[in-house]
Amino acid sequence: MLKIWSMKKEQQKDENSAEGNGAAAPKKKKVTAAQLRAQKDLSELSLGTTMSTEFPDPDNILSFVLYVEPDEGMYKGGRFSFTFNITPSFPHEPPKVQCREKIYHPNIDLEGKVCLNILREDWKPVLDLNAVIVGLQFLFLEPNASDPLNKEAAEDLRNNREGFKRNVKIAMGGGSVRGESYKRVLI
Amino acid sequence: MTEIVMSQTPPILHGPSEKERKYDRQLRLWAASGQAALESANMLLVNSGAGTVGSETLKNLVLPGIGRFAIYDEAEVSEADLGVNFFLDDSYLGKSRSRGVTELLLELNPEVEGSWYPNEGVRTLDALLAGSQVFTVIMYTHPIQPEQLSQLEAYGQKHRTPLVAIHSAGFYSFFQINLPGAFPIVDTHPDETAATDLRVLRPWPELVSFAEDLTKSIDDLDNFEHGHLPYVVILLHHLEQWKATHDGKYPATYKEKTEFRKIVQAAARTNTPEGGEENFDEAAAAVVKTLVAPSLPSGLKEVFEYEHTDPVEQSSGFWVIADAVKRFYETHQCLPLPGKVPDMKAHSRVYIQLQNIYKAKARKDAAEILEMVQATPGGQHVDPAEVDLFCKNAAFVKLINATGWGSDAETPRIDRLRSVAAAEFAADASAELTLTPLSHLPIYLALQATAHLPASQPPAVGAILSAIAALVPGAERNERVVQAAHEVARAGAGELHNVAALTGGMVAQEMIKIVTKQYIPVDNTCVFDGVEGRCQVLRL
Amino acid sequence: MATTEVHPASEPARWAYLDRIRTRPGPFTNPDSFDGKVVAEAMENMKILVIGAGGLGCELLKNLALSGFKDIHVIDMDTIDISNLNRQFLFRQTDVGSFKAEVAARFVERRVKGVKITPHNCKIQDFDEDFYMQFQLVVCGLDSIEARRWINAMLVNMVDEEVEDSYKPLIDGGTEGFKGQARVILPTVTSCIECQLDMHAPRAAVPLCTLASIPRQPEHCIEWAHVIAWDQEKPFPDLDKDDPEHITWLYQKSLHRAREFNIPGVTYSLTQGVVKNIIPAIAATNSVIAAACCNEALKIASNCAPFLGYPDNNYMMYSGNDSIYTYTFRHERKDDCPVCGTLARPLPDIDQAWTLRDLVDSFAARPEAQLKKPSVRAEGKTLYMQSPPSLEAQTRPNLDKTLVELGLVDGQEIGVTDPAFATVVFKYRLKFKS
Repeated sequence: MLKIWSMKKEQQKDENSAEGNGAAAPKKKKVTAAQLRAQKDLSELSLGTTMSTEFPDPDNILSFVLYVEPDEGMYKGGRFSFTFNITPSFPHEPPKVQCREKIYHPNIDLEGKVCLNILREDWKPVLDLNAVIVGLQFLFLEPNASDPLNKEAAEDLRNNREGFKRNVKIAMGGGSVRGESYKRVLI
Repeated sequence: MTEIVMSQTPPILHGPSEKERKYDRQLRLWAASGQAALESANMLLVNSGAGTVGSETLKNLVLPGIGRFAIYDEAEVSEADLGVNFFLDDSYLGKSRSRGVTELLLELNPEVEGSWYPNEGVRTLDALLAGSQVFTVIMYTHPIQPEQLSQLEAYGQKHRTPLVAIHSAGFYSFFQINLPGAFPIVDTHPDETAATDLRVLRPWPELVSFAEDLTKSIDDLDNFEHGHLPYVVILLHHLEQWKATHDGKYPATYKEKTEFRKIVQAAARTNTPEGGEENFDEAAAAVVKTLVAPSLPSGLKEVFEYEHTDPVEQSSGFWVIADAVKRFYETHQCLPLPGKVPDMKAHSRVYIQLQNIYKAKARKDAAEILEMVQATPGGQHVDPAEVDLFCKNAAFVKLINATGWGSDAETPRIDRLRSVAAAEFAADASAELTLTPLSHLPIYLALQATAHLPASQPPAVGAILSAIAALVPGAERNERVVQAAHEVARAGAGELHNVAALTGGMVAQEMIKIVTKQYIPVDNTCVFDGVEGRCQVLRL
Repeated sequence: MATTEVHPASEPARWAYLDRIRTRPGPFTNPDSFDGKVVAEAMENMKILVIGAGGLGCELLKNLALSGFKDIHVIDMDTIDISNLNRQFLFRQTDVGSFKAEVAARFVERRVKGVKITPHNCKIQDFDEDFYMQFQLVVCGLDSIEARRWINAMLVNMVDEEVEDSYKPLIDGGTEGFKGQARVILPTVTSCIECQLDMHAPRAAVPLCTLASIPRQPEHCIEWAHVIAWDQEKPFPDLDKDDPEHITWLYQKSLHRAREFNIPGVTYSLTQGVVKNIIPAIAATNSVIAAACCNEALKIASNCAPFLGYPDNNYMMYSGNDSIYTYTFRHERKDDCPVCGTLARPLPDIDQAWTLRDLVDSFAARPEAQLKKPSVRAEGKTLYMQSPPSLEAQTRPNLDKTLVELGLVDGQEIGVTDPAFATVVFKYRLKFKS
């Protein structure tokens, strides 16, 4: 069998590493890479005044809810929530993010799917949860009509900006737009 | 648009057949055409020595479903076989090895036929080769008796059959492919990214007017339309503008192309939610790759310049089409359009229109070539599908074994080996400076030195080195050659199962490439070193 | 070369070829680490684990059995599908539906006398450290990155610098079409699978909005059916990608959408390929890559020749598309690797009567990093997080609890992060004062 141990010792001599003595202890329950990374991202999260989090189970940091209350733009006055699910493949794979309320928005469909490049095609492991949160915030400030998930909402925004703004207000107030009824999300 | 009402549980339509399901993972590589070629192949393995590399090769060919195989092996199963060959078991001890391997291989795929020799009816290799079976390829393992090798070579010459020599001993192996002549491949499967020719520097009227229509009032387009112009159209528009201010010339130098790229990038609108436009980003990124004056790719150049020595070969479909494509190129100064359009940001409708314009032009080019082909004597029998395939892949056509090895070879094989050896040893001398891996030629020499030694006579270092001296005088004093000789002697003509399996995998890949005429085969010798875990391909 | 003597362990005639190589030194054998007299017997006593009994796994079992290993375990949770039969040569038509690990183990045991193969028809995650500790070598033939990362993290985390047996070499193979790679990971010595994640190209994704509003390719129509239409219509409770009825539903949806946009090229086979992310696979490539892996296993187990891993090359790339090309190189370790870059350091002299606050405060005095705002977690237990505010509030009561009250035990691993150290995370192993 190879002498991996002696090789390791040699390597340590070279790197003249410090530390390491005491009897071998039983080692159980390792912290996984995805959890460590999520912990790091969370401890660096900057939420500002318009966002807050909720952890249904504080021991499971891979699953939480983000609340967004835009204080400017067309969605001002509303309160929206997104579920975040971080898989064991994080950060190799992006977190799964979905809007819980039905929303009238060109880039979020009626099932809550969000069209945000860094949540899908442009995700990279160097990106973090802050980047995702900034991206979500941006969607409320600058809904994008050119590449829609909700085609009707996008058409309204493109062809009749004032009408679109009115529809946003109606939807947030719990009314119906283009035959779809929405729940009230105003605070 | 009429609404098609779908039931919740629709019937399974156009589902794959049982056979398509079984072969699904390989059909995605070589398609039904490749599979059909495999299924009509009949492969002969002439096995000897420790005998494992041949069994492993055939395993990887029986599984994907070659039509038939035959094994010729004079050995009887010994204890040592059972420690290295998976396709034998205790019940075959003392019996014919070709029979045991054949029977256990046939269990792998009921659609394959196999036979074993020598048997009651066919007692010698000569008799097998004189029989009615026609072999698509012949593989033989070292060591091989010189007279049997001559028989195989004679058969190969006569039937234009590719011959493959395989040698596996200890940590080392090599295989060598001897093709009966120049071997062209059309369906080379280039990388998706390499396979685009958008011809923006030589647009044709339909493409020009399509682009003009979309861009004639480009500044008045709303952001939505502007942000969805396909990048090909953006490039064509700005190229026209460039020409108008540059004496009708396209950007040609690197500096001009950089300047052109800046112009394209600057034409993007920034008053959008994202502060830019993806389609203009795509256009700018494509400038350097797309604005290339048409030139002849090296593979096709070799085809165009190939000098025929064999009239039978010359009248084959490939060469008739190649000749027509050459004339097309001389007339139009470009290759037939492949017709593929890469995905790009655009409205669905506009993209499909653009795709159809490219497809129509590709069909037109192919039709022109087909007409030339059919006007050639003998060209009437060429399959139009073959013409289409050639046109789609023209830029990636490849010629293997262009200088042959048969009677037409200009230099005897031994001279070629010696000149390659000189070049390899010279390269090794400066390998440390050039950071290149060391040559595997020493391994080839050490194995080749034992190519005809019966397995019952394990090779000694001294004998190996004197055989090397006969092949390449002076090589026996090279330190790495001496090491390789020791490593070969250590194996004592025995195989390591892993090295045999690895080599069998590589040879099977090559057989598939040669039979399906897809992907690009090794030209012509591949040497594996299991100490380092590395291959080298040499043309010997 | 000191000796030409062969040192067989059992059945010398059967293993003659193998013994010539593994029990005798060659010109490249390192004499300091090679002892030909003990090799054969040592290998017969080794326990080796194969993960995956699919395309690579079948080959691995055959190769290891014919390399002199006698005690092999294999884990695979999958059952045999008809599409496996073009390469998974230990399976027959009649085996379809049976467990791969079970059938493969029985077949190789039957064919190669004297080898014992123990199948485990389950997930690798079903086993803990104690299970993995029994093996000397682990060889992987997996098709998922997630499983590779899991076993890699398990083996790296098992390393105890005081215990020689805790170092388990990991040999990993992978293929796609005519291409593949084989690599050797010596946990904490060479770069690990996590360090090498950039070698796996992420699956190309298309923007959701393209699927929703401007499809152009047949794949866009299929992804639309898969990602959007399925969720909207829920034709079956859960999508089973192996159920032809489900694939047919997606195929027809895709076809319908493609017709709407005049997009050519949607087929059943393409639908299946896109939805299941099918990677083409053939016997020949599996044969190359699995044999490359087992060749390294033999060399590592016997020291009869240098192996991939240390100190130089640890990675072999293979491509058979255009001629044959291999590139064997050294993939460097990443110092900031979240798995092997931060081995848990011992945190000695911890009093179990301490409150969590005492522990948190103690990090400010640690020599390697004075952590002013540490957030602390154990696996499955969030101890204290400084941010975000809701989590801080939820975990604040923990600060006044003792370590024992929080369920922490001697030897427990904790992860510590601090915004002041943006790129590193610290792992510690609690060592209680006795």
